[in-house]
Amino acid sequence: MQLYVNGQMVEVNSDPDTPLLWVIRDELGMTGTKFGCGLAQCGACSVMLDGKIVRSCVTPLSSVGDAQVTTIEAIEADPVGQRVVEKWIAHQVPQCGYCQSGQVMAATALLKENAKPSRDEIAAAMVNLCRCGTYNVINDAMLDLAGLGANKGETL
Amino acid sequence: MKKILFTLIAIVLVVAAGLSWYVTRKPASPFDAVAAVATPSPDLIAKGKYIARAADCVACHSVPGGKPFAGGLKMGTPLGAIYTTNITPDPKTGIGKYTLADFDRAVRHGVAANGHRLYPAMPYPSYSKMSDADVRALYAYFTHEVAPAAVADKPSEIPSPWNIRWPIALWNLVFAPDTPYQPVKTQDAEWNRGAYLVQGPGHCGSCHTPRGAAFNEKAMDQGGKLYLSGALLDGWYAPSLRNDPNTGIGRWREADIYAFLKNGRNGHGVVFGSMLDAYNNSTQFLTDADLHAIAHYLKSLPGDPARDGKPWAYSATAVADLAPAKRSSVPGAQTFAAKCSFCHQPDGKGQSPWIPALAGSTSSLVPDAASQINIVLNGSGRVMANGMPDSYRMPPYRAQLSDKQVAQVLSFVRSAWGNRGGPVTAKAVADLRKKTDPASPQVIVLQMR
Amino acid sequence: MNDHDPTPACDLAGDSPQNLSRRRFLQTSAGVATGALVIGMGIPLQPARAAGAAQMAPGTNVPAFLEIRPDNRVRFLSPFNEGGQGIFTGMAQIVGEELDADPESFIVENAPAGHDYLVVFGKMRITGGSFSTRSSYTTMRKLGALARNMLLQAAATRMNAPIGELTTEPGHVIHKSTGQKIAYGDLAKDALDLPVPDPKSVTLKDPKDFRWIRQPLKRLDVPEKSTGKAIYAMDCKVEGMLHAAVQHAPRLGLKPGVVRNLDEVKAMKGVHSVHKLDGAVAVVAERFWVAKLGADALQVDWQEPSAAEKAKIRYMPADFSTEAFTRQLMETKGDGKEAETHGDLKSAFASAGKTVSATYHSQYVHHAQLEPASTLARFNADGTLDIWLPNQAPEQFQAQIAKTAGLKLEQVNIHSPILGGFFGRHFLYPGANPYPQAVALSKATGRPVKVIWTREQEFLRDPLRPMAAVRFRGALDASGMPVAIEAISACEGPAESLNGHNPNKVDSNAVEGLTGKAYAIPNRRIAQVYVKNPTSLAYWRSVGHSMNDFLYEGFLDEMADAGGKDPYALRLKLLEGNDRLTTLLKAVGELSGGWKRGPFTAPDGSRRARGVAMASPFGSEAAAIAEVSLNAAGKVVVHDVWEAIDPGSIVNPGIIKLQAMSAATLGVSQVLMEQVVYKNGEPEARNYDLYPILPPDRAPRIHVKVVESGAQMGGIGEPPLPAVPAAIANAVSTLTGKRVRSMPLDKLSLAT
Repeated sequence: MQLYVNGQMVEVNSDPDTPLLWVIRDELGMTGTKFGCGLAQCGACSVMLDGKIVRSCVTPLSSVGDAQVTTIEAIEADPVGQRVVEKWIAHQVPQCGYCQSGQVMAATALLKENAKPSRDEIAAAMVNLCRCGTYNVINDAMLDLAGLGANKGETL
Repeated sequence: MKKILFTLIAIVLVVAAGLSWYVTRKPASPFDAVAAVATPSPDLIAKGKYIARAADCVACHSVPGGKPFAGGLKMGTPLGAIYTTNITPDPKTGIGKYTLADFDRAVRHGVAANGHRLYPAMPYPSYSKMSDADVRALYAYFTHEVAPAAVADKPSEIPSPWNIRWPIALWNLVFAPDTPYQPVKTQDAEWNRGAYLVQGPGHCGSCHTPRGAAFNEKAMDQGGKLYLSGALLDGWYAPSLRNDPNTGIGRWREADIYAFLKNGRNGHGVVFGSMLDAYNNSTQFLTDADLHAIAHYLKSLPGDPARDGKPWAYSATAVADLAPAKRSSVPGAQTFAAKCSFCHQPDGKGQSPWIPALAGSTSSLVPDAASQINIVLNGSGRVMANGMPDSYRMPPYRAQLSDKQVAQVLSFVRSAWGNRGGPVTAKAVADLRKKTDPASPQVIVLQMR
Repeated sequence: MNDHDPTPACDLAGDSPQNLSRRRFLQTSAGVATGALVIGMGIPLQPARAAGAAQMAPGTNVPAFLEIRPDNRVRFLSPFNEGGQGIFTGMAQIVGEELDADPESFIVENAPAGHDYLVVFGKMRITGGSFSTRSSYTTMRKLGALARNMLLQAAATRMNAPIGELTTEPGHVIHKSTGQKIAYGDLAKDALDLPVPDPKSVTLKDPKDFRWIRQPLKRLDVPEKSTGKAIYAMDCKVEGMLHAAVQHAPRLGLKPGVVRNLDEVKAMKGVHSVHKLDGAVAVVAERFWVAKLGADALQVDWQEPSAAEKAKIRYMPADFSTEAFTRQLMETKGDGKEAETHGDLKSAFASAGKTVSATYHSQYVHHAQLEPASTLARFNADGTLDIWLPNQAPEQFQAQIAKTAGLKLEQVNIHSPILGGFFGRHFLYPGANPYPQAVALSKATGRPVKVIWTREQEFLRDPLRPMAAVRFRGALDASGMPVAIEAISACEGPAESLNGHNPNKVDSNAVEGLTGKAYAIPNRRIAQVYVKNPTSLAYWRSVGHSMNDFLYEGFLDEMADAGGKDPYALRLKLLEGNDRLTTLLKAVGELSGGWKRGPFTAPDGSRRARGVAMASPFGSEAAAIAEVSLNAAGKVVVHDVWEAIDPGSIVNPGIIKLQAMSAATLGVSQVLMEQVVYKNGEPEARNYDLYPILPPDRAPRIHVKVVESGAQMGGIGEPPLPAVPAAIANAVSTLTGKRVRSMPLDKLSLAT
């Protein structure tokens, strides 16, 4: 089966019901996309399919078709992704970092859809779990990216 | 005056005596004078095992981790819980002392060897249609292959006086057929085979046929319009198996039915709820010919447009409601986007055949939302197809979503993409939440040996 | 960028496998090829052995810690693992300060196992107890100073100048009078040959001259973690590696019997082999997903252990339920063993104007770190074992793994990738670490094997934060002031659960947070009644404090109410004369805009209330105020948490603030929604579905003020947690008029 991943065509041979997550991690050897729950609960495995956010742990390989898969490895090749990464660093978002590939993907997908999301849209789209509690800082970085100014709170 | 009284008393006494005889009598069995074969052939035992699969005995007479067929499964009834019994050939606690005729009376007539009446949770009204040959084979299997297990039956929790069983005999008189399946001459052999499996061992009507006030199935075969027309049982709504395009399997081809029963999934859906047990333990083990026969028979049952309404057609309108900018203003949309859409997709079409569509699914179109409420609260058990577990399971959301959130997200689902199952109330969610438990995330295989 | 090359990532350095991320980071940032870098101050190829041979005091063997590369980048091997708490950056700041090298030029990796790294109070090594910075601060500064001294010596020879005339500026040695300037990177090779000076011979900087310490420097690991380049144990891979998934016994202690479908699973496409292990059956495959499906499919007859076997591990009985165990703890009688006592409890109660009593209880909680446990093991041709695993104590794991694998200590090379969250999860816990499985499978297959626990298998074996029921009684004087308090906790502490219960001792982990309270209540008695748990127990972020401060501070509010006192005013009164805590409590009051308890109506029309609580955990002090309301479903909404934290003295205020927000968030999660429920000996939840952790839409705004009192340095990773659940519960009690005496709040009926 052929997949388009980060702008390249690759040949994969996992079974059609294999979650895209494990095709990316095991077969393609790209480990930036994380396994957290395997049940679409946490969002650590988020990648983009044709620019839309999906959770790769519940995306069967057979569902991907000829959609363009974008993983965190290619995030800086995307101008929106590059901005997100810059702000993630500026706001010092990650702690343990394990959920952050997914957070960055979710942020990028939102901003690609709408470069100036409202606070509500940010809240609606940024639903991935973080056990370290970086939610406040994620929100600050998102407000900054959306041009809404940083929260009055705790930006460093 | 006195005379009348005496006459009345006399009548009552005679009726009572007759009644007493009737309700405690052992019904006749064609095997009454027949001795079972002492050493049945392996073929007969194998045939019996196949019938046990088709009748799904294990699903009720075993519990996960327990000895095969040793009973103990708790079944709720409106009067209190009952427990399924030990049907292993253990002489003390099981059916080791049952003659073939005793066995027949239990399976096809609902009468135990000691004469007491079984609760009709045991689907003997359906099993009564089983052929003599199949009963004989089943007996051979249970007495010669199933291992005896000394596990005492648990007493029922039905309180006195509701635990008196003789009135069941009267119920049987009215509601339980007592003749084996008679082929319909105007139909072909495949149809008749399918009808036999569906009505008899498969006891599909136990879940899929609506019940009357006395808990009786309203029809036992295609002669009744309500046969397999969909019913609520145990917190799951078993949809119509008739040719209703919306609430039944009208949009399915015979090949789809076959695939569903064989693989647990097809382009229309994935087994869940009570059907998961039927699939995991029963239908997947049937031969291709039998599954095709079942499909053939079911497709012969006409739908009811008056009940089913205008056939569903997809509409993409809800997709726009799921955009981040709109989600928070459409009740249920944010929950759907955050909790459901990654699997079932914003277009509601799922990821067939691994993850079912919600757009146009039977459960999104039937007026009774119990199955959807139940699966959202409790998730689904694991589908085990041909020894392989599913790659994707529906998680329970009872710990994450309030009654209102469940009601809202389901109301959203049931009105999106052309669905019109109707809204769900928070109260309906609250009621079901109390009565149910989450499904196990682990693969459960009920062993038959 | 598009890295489709599945070549072994954790194995780039051939015989001496190194963590990939740092190497790659280095390659890209330094722009040179691998081989050219192996110069410098000589990180030994077998660091454990080299370090062992030296037997210098831990934290002094400079070459075991530092490598300065020709491009002036400093590679530092950290005794503490990075799991989000910012310790790699903090270490770079501390060492860089005295070395006079910009922390930004540091590449920090976790050190291998070895004597040199036992820098926690100079005798052990754990990343835990919020010990890292406070226990090694001086040692690590000295290390930097020693390294600088060695560079100066080398420079003196090279420049032919007296050492006394040499100075440094970041990364360089300067001889002012001759204008000579040499980069550290150019001196490193010479410096390597020099003996490490006597630690007493170096003087440390005057804190007023600090260039980096106390600055909010940006964390070194953030760029990698924002771009998916950071490598966790889960991500490690080596040549020829197989993947394994396991099915654990449903209860700890059960043994695998017959696998009914063994042949079918073995015959699955891609399956390498199936193995019975201790309390688990593993499926090994070329790819993880195949192994995972195979492990799910296994139909195992689990066997009860013998009595002797039960004694070896914490056997989980089939009838255990948390509901019954909670009841058992609540009904546990007895005065217990005293952990803290002061004054005369008896006469205080006898002469009390009023007494209050109540029983509180806590719940089991999961670590629920987002990275499930995994381990990669490889036996090498020379008989050594390389093993990559998430851990908070490399030497302890090394010793245990050597024992398990039948190897000598120095034959076990422990690799400790950064942690995808830990919170106490990655200590040695019987039955809770995958390394025995990885070792056994690697041995059995003759190939490297990586075992990954799915979330379901992780939650089945995650050892739990203990639960406790605490019987409180308090005495008030005629004016309503508390004069006596007694707390008797029915609990098993994590330390005694792991190291064995001593009937003559209290496990301080079980009672901390009941003990050590700063309030001037003259008569007090804190005691523990030991009740053994069938569950495996663990340290959980802030350990005993994580529940005990919730329990104590709630009861303190009950005493305040009984005495007709405002809880904030009462705390100030009870802290009279304690300047540090008075300052702290006032600081949090100010941060919140001035104390107001409520209930009051917020601008959005909702009814709200605030609660306050304090805690003294791990050498630091914390005070928190929370504002709550109830939503339409009767669930608690936490709007804001204000927290003032005083760790005494600080290294990086930015990191401290973020750690406070992090710990506070975990506190919110615990008090609102977390509870491990066991039924029939098994945990009901096997994933985040039934064990939800705080999602973003329930996270409050968190406002942190760091108060630096100048007291002895305390911890920071854990201390901001314990006051938060209590502040929230106290706010809810005020709002609803119903006293909250247990967590989580989501399980309580609060609607009024």
